[in-house]
Amino acid sequence: MRSPEPILSIQGLKKHFKLPTKGFFGREKPVVRAVDGITFDVIPGETLGIVGESGCGKSTTARLIIDLIHRDAGAILFEGKAMGEALSPKEYRRHVQMVFQDSFASLNPRMIVRDIIAFGPMVHGMPQKEAEELAYSLLTKVGLDPARFAGRYPHELSGGQRQRVNIARALAFRPKVLILDEAVSALDKSVEAQVLNLLTDLKAEFNLTYLFISHDLNVVRYISDRVMVMYLGECVEIGPVDEVYAHPRHPYTRALLSAMPSMDPDKRTMEPPLAGDPPNPINPPPGCRFHTRCRFAEDVCGTVSPVPTVRGSMHFAACHIGTPGSGHSRAGETT
Amino acid sequence: MSVSPIVSVRDLTVTFKGPPDVHAVNGVSFDLAPGEVLGILGESGSGKSVTLKTLLRLLPEKRTTIGGTISVAGQDVVALQGRALADYRGRVASMVFQDPALALDPVFTVGQQISEAVIRHEGVSKAEARKRALEMLERVRIPSPARRLDAYPHEMSGGMRQRAMIALALACRPKLLLADEPTTALDATVQIQILLLLRELQRDFGMSVIFVTHDIGAAVEVSDRLAVMYAGKFVETGGVRDILRDPRHPYTRGLLAANLHGAEKGTRLEAIPGAPPALHEAPTSCSFAPRCRHAEERCHHALPPVVPLGEARNVRCILAEAARQDA
Repeated sequence: MRSPEPILSIQGLKKHFKLPTKGFFGREKPVVRAVDGITFDVIPGETLGIVGESGCGKSTTARLIIDLIHRDAGAILFEGKAMGEALSPKEYRRHVQMVFQDSFASLNPRMIVRDIIAFGPMVHGMPQKEAEELAYSLLTKVGLDPARFAGRYPHELSGGQRQRVNIARALAFRPKVLILDEAVSALDKSVEAQVLNLLTDLKAEFNLTYLFISHDLNVVRYISDRVMVMYLGECVEIGPVDEVYAHPRHPYTRALLSAMPSMDPDKRTMEPPLAGDPPNPINPPPGCRFHTRCRFAEDVCGTVSPVPTVRGSMHFAACHIGTPGSGHSRAGETT
Repeated sequence: MSVSPIVSVRDLTVTFKGPPDVHAVNGVSFDLAPGEVLGILGESGSGKSVTLKTLLRLLPEKRTTIGGTISVAGQDVVALQGRALADYRGRVASMVFQDPALALDPVFTVGQQISEAVIRHEGVSKAEARKRALEMLERVRIPSPARRLDAYPHEMSGGMRQRAMIALALACRPKLLLADEPTTALDATVQIQILLLLRELQRDFGMSVIFVTHDIGAAVEVSDRLAVMYAGKFVETGGVRDILRDPRHPYTRGLLAANLHGAEKGTRLEAIPGAPPALHEAPTSCSFAPRCRHAEERCHHALPPVVPLGEARNVRCILAEAARQDA
């Protein structure tokens, strides 16, 4: 099932951060395995949601894909061309842009809104006049009146308005892929809905492909076509969003979904689906990384890393249950 | 309500001296019965945290003007000073904060911090206080509690720190627990653990809880009653079932829709346009009117009436008034 050519293909992406502290007795320095071998494709025109708890590596994945931090291993292919080889990073970034969570920190406080948006295209050789025209038209597109907002500094805007500027800046290159890293998480609920509507409109108008990273499962279900679930630097499950939400196959996905508040006072959650906090990514557990919190864990889970297996159309999960011949007593069972 | 309330707030106003002045709370009144859980729901800047902090008198004295009355367990909280205020904090009412990493003291162990509170309020011996601290860590289900007693906050994970924080807040068995976004900084799978723990402890200790959050889902998990706050006022109060099933204020409706729970894919979200007001002046008309689809001429000129709709249910909107007259 890979009929449509992926617009973005991520293969074996890896990033280990070395900690500044020395290891005990001169041993190797401790390493945070932030992203540890992630492979997935992004199909043109889709919205791929990435969910997971803090420290699971979803933001690091985003930064690796946009090449803000350099990967230790793996390849990033844009329309079949390897970034850094056939495609220069500068060229690549015209096609792939990003919107960050912190709308204030990601805007230059000493530039007015118009210049913030026009700056990128000018660096890439667009004449100033043209770039400013572009900035005005983009401001209109994101719902900010240029006459009122173009001359303002970021601190003169509200959070929702700043995030609109961030989106306009990202669109200035006419990118094909937009990475949204918790782009609506810092906004108030009523403003968040406005920005989500805007993102839906812009996607249709500019033929965009979204990589939508969020910890909010309700938002991800609403906006995504497919969803990828991450746990401790690995992808545990990926598939069409409705299928994953309705029939989660990985025990972690199931726990994550049942940890969502029910919104019904008569159907309150009676028992937490998981105990404890996610383990430290510095020394992730061997084998399946989830086995320390998984109630179905057996011996094999602590030693052998599960391989993602497919079930249904494009629905993959990395769990020994559901993998025939894995050594788990329930191997091959439908979960 | 036949039982006398443990908390009684009347026309509470809180103003911060500027420039510019900020009218954070503009006339909040409510009662809380013993053993009741009230969830205050609102967005940032709505005044929900300020209301909570006023109940513990945590706001900077010089810059804050408090109006109205607050009575907690028969004490006039606004008038409390010096030792009486210190006696009140932790003993009668105590608070759980959003970020336990900031709220706990980094240079003392968790055991020391809990013991200190117990010794201050109950005058027991050090050994006795330590025993209580251990008991509390067991109550909040921190794994290997005896060892954690001597742990510093930075040695614990986020969820464990929040449990320690709850243990500290409840060590002297307060009658009222104030929880200020206690689960916002936590991961989803940890958040539900803490919510369930709070619910269990509330039941076991029979205390009253005011739970402030912007997350409707979290509020619904623990609250008996909800108060929706906007621009420093309660715009709607009522039982959690009533508000969820039949929200009356346009702002409450917008908030519930924006939660996206069960939102239909591909449909447009019913977003509330605009942004909350700045509150540099005390409101003289409905603060929500500029964002409201149903706003009429009079909404922009006078404060909307508080319309009572059945038991403990109030809506501050002309729409509710019209609906009541129709009925």
